[in-house]
Amino acid sequence: MSARRDEAHFIDAFPITFRMMFKEEWRQNVDFAKSRRILLFPALLAVVAMAVTVGLRFLTGDGVIGANADEISRETFTFDELRQGVHLMVFLFSLGMGSFAFLGQSIVSQRGGGKNFLLASPAMQPIDLQITYLAYYLKEVAFYIVLILTPVTIGMGLGILSQSVLSISTPLLWSSLAPFLLCVSLTMAQGIALSFFGSTLISRGQPFTFGIPIIAAFLGVVVYMDIIPIDRVIIGLYAHATAVFWWTPLGFLFCIIVAWVAAGLLPEDFEVRISGREDLFLPMYERLGKLGLKSDSRMRILIAKEIVDVLRSGTLFKMLGSFAVPLLFLLLMAWGAEFAAFPIPFNLLSYAPFIGFFGFNFYSWLNAIDAPDHLNTMPVSVPELLRAKIWTYFLLTSWIGVLFILLMAWMLDQWDVMLASMVVMLANSIYIVSLSAWLMGLRPNKAIFDSGIMARFWMATAFPLVGLFLLSWTQGDTTLLENWGMQVSSSGLDAEAQAIDLENRQSTDMTYIMGICAILLSFSFLFLRLIDRKWRSAPFEN
Amino acid sequence: MSETLVEAQGLAKRFGDFVALQPLDVKVQSGEFFGVFGPNGAGKSTFIRLLTGQLSPTEGGAKILGIDVANKPRLVKANIGIVPESESPPSYLTAAEFLEFVARLRRVDNLSEKVAYWLDWFGMTDKRTTLCKDLSKGQRQKVMLASAFIHEPRLLFLDEPFVNLDPIYQRKCRELLLEHVANGGTIFLCSHILEIAERLCTRVAVIDHGRVLAAGRLSNLRETDEETLEDIFIRLVGRSIEEIEAESDGLNEEE
Repeated sequence: MSARRDEAHFIDAFPITFRMMFKEEWRQNVDFAKSRRILLFPALLAVVAMAVTVGLRFLTGDGVIGANADEISRETFTFDELRQGVHLMVFLFSLGMGSFAFLGQSIVSQRGGGKNFLLASPAMQPIDLQITYLAYYLKEVAFYIVLILTPVTIGMGLGILSQSVLSISTPLLWSSLAPFLLCVSLTMAQGIALSFFGSTLISRGQPFTFGIPIIAAFLGVVVYMDIIPIDRVIIGLYAHATAVFWWTPLGFLFCIIVAWVAAGLLPEDFEVRISGREDLFLPMYERLGKLGLKSDSRMRILIAKEIVDVLRSGTLFKMLGSFAVPLLFLLLMAWGAEFAAFPIPFNLLSYAPFIGFFGFNFYSWLNAIDAPDHLNTMPVSVPELLRAKIWTYFLLTSWIGVLFILLMAWMLDQWDVMLASMVVMLANSIYIVSLSAWLMGLRPNKAIFDSGIMARFWMATAFPLVGLFLLSWTQGDTTLLENWGMQVSSSGLDAEAQAIDLENRQSTDMTYIMGICAILLSFSFLFLRLIDRKWRSAPFEN
Repeated sequence: MSETLVEAQGLAKRFGDFVALQPLDVKVQSGEFFGVFGPNGAGKSTFIRLLTGQLSPTEGGAKILGIDVANKPRLVKANIGIVPESESPPSYLTAAEFLEFVARLRRVDNLSEKVAYWLDWFGMTDKRTTLCKDLSKGQRQKVMLASAFIHEPRLLFLDEPFVNLDPIYQRKCRELLLEHVANGGTIFLCSHILEIAERLCTRVAVIDHGRVLAAGRLSNLRETDEETLEDIFIRLVGRSIEEIEAESDGLNEEE
């Protein structure tokens, strides 16, 4: 028998935990997709980054020939704007990815089930929860840098390299690549750290549950109103814009400290809270009868169970929180924006498809609540459960999008396109969720790194989204469209002015918008039918 | 001279309105094989989780190996081995990786040899590169047992350790545990399988509804020489043999 042992210290515990977590993450992704497909995902990103690099000069106005300098500067993006856009996108993405205090809690509480993860190891092993979560944070940052940001940078490099093959030049320089990777990585690390910090506080309960979303929204307004410039908030952007790169090590240190403090604030208990609950299932089952679902139909039973899961797990609140922050941000942007000064004529119809697109997040949450393995022994099939989840999604969440469109119509005073926006939002929402269910089944969270699935998802969503987005501009200020029209209609790369008949164009394009929505709805029904063929013999596992 | 390794005083746990464990005192000396028995939901696992620092008590406290559990849960965990009732090893590590992870955290010497030894002991050498999620329940249980033994702790907390094991490994583990106790080790075991108590335990406690109904040596718990542990158990948890027989007869008649 061994002599008395000390608890695991940082120097012993951190390296092995970090290494094993990295393996765990990789295998979790490979488990869903084949490793070949996982590796194709960064390759796909590199190709997209290369294409953007090649086309960069058109975004910055370097590719517009035959227009005067004022026009170009008004109707294209500056490098500063593009840089800001990239950092903002990465920052918002990482805010979405960093709320793993919630994930950790559910892993800890579900560790008695068939699956377990290293995040729950402090329950049994002599390791500090703070060390475990710091390792998890750094693993997340490293994983995203390796799988997303590095391939993008390599793609940009390939874009520069392609100058010698294609006759098009890019304003991007080789010397820009290393600072780009460094600074965008810092932005990613900061977003994840702040999101982790916020989710940790929320997981501590009141007063943080409501306080943190309010503070986040307030900070969003402050930044939007430029009271605090955005490059003072996003450290990576500041370092990138000012080329003061010695800020980056300090920035990374700051992020690690934030993550360390957040991990230290996590409630260190492994308790499963036990309390008696009133029966929700039968009342919910009864209520579903009012929707015309037949008594004893499997769909009615499954939907009732899904709704109870959502309500009991507190997921509806988490969904609202994760949905409300980006929506609030969009709302404030739309409210305060002086569209004329912006090079794109946004209007209510421009936002509607994106609100519908958020349906993917909701669908992912729905699949993360509970392990469906117990259904393997029941007389139900995976397609039935998928359809039940789609129903649950609409019953529980569609009102949020509707409310948002109404709020936005009121704030922008664009009641004339409110109904059309509602149709666009709902059609997109139905389409995205049906597509996700068909492509990813019960495992949308793991499909993110499957390049095969993501390529299909991108293609199936990018075309209608971009189409609707571009067509929506015809319902607003179309000065930019004239310039874009010039570029698209010109043979080769020379730009030529082209007048647009605004009145006629608006009504024609509204018909196109509705046409696209009709196509999306038709595809949604097709996907719902294809779900049977694809998933009928799949096991229940997520 | 025996040493008190487990000492709980007024240890109680409440989850909201639900009382999982009423205040109880317990002392386990070194070299004892102590068993806690009770029906499903009696509070056995809560008891073990309180003693091993996985739960915080609502009242009272406990010392394990002289260490206050509430103040130093990690130091307690460093010096004991725990086999939980239903927890699996991390799904996406292989059996060998999980043991390596545990051994490194516990700073075990000759790590590779120890991992290989325990995998071999449990007949899992050919499964060393299999992900834990792809192992059978019994194999996962073996990995959890190996992870509790690998650092050779003096004190083991085992919650239903034999449930998923086949008879061969049940016997092998029983012999290992008896050898552990014979060498001065101590075991604190929770189960509802009474045969284990009769075969292994030097002292037992029977609990139900979070309350200790009886504790002591088996011989002291018997009211008559003929009384089996099953009889004692049923008597203590409040249902007579006659009641259970009447219930069974009723069921048979319905059929």
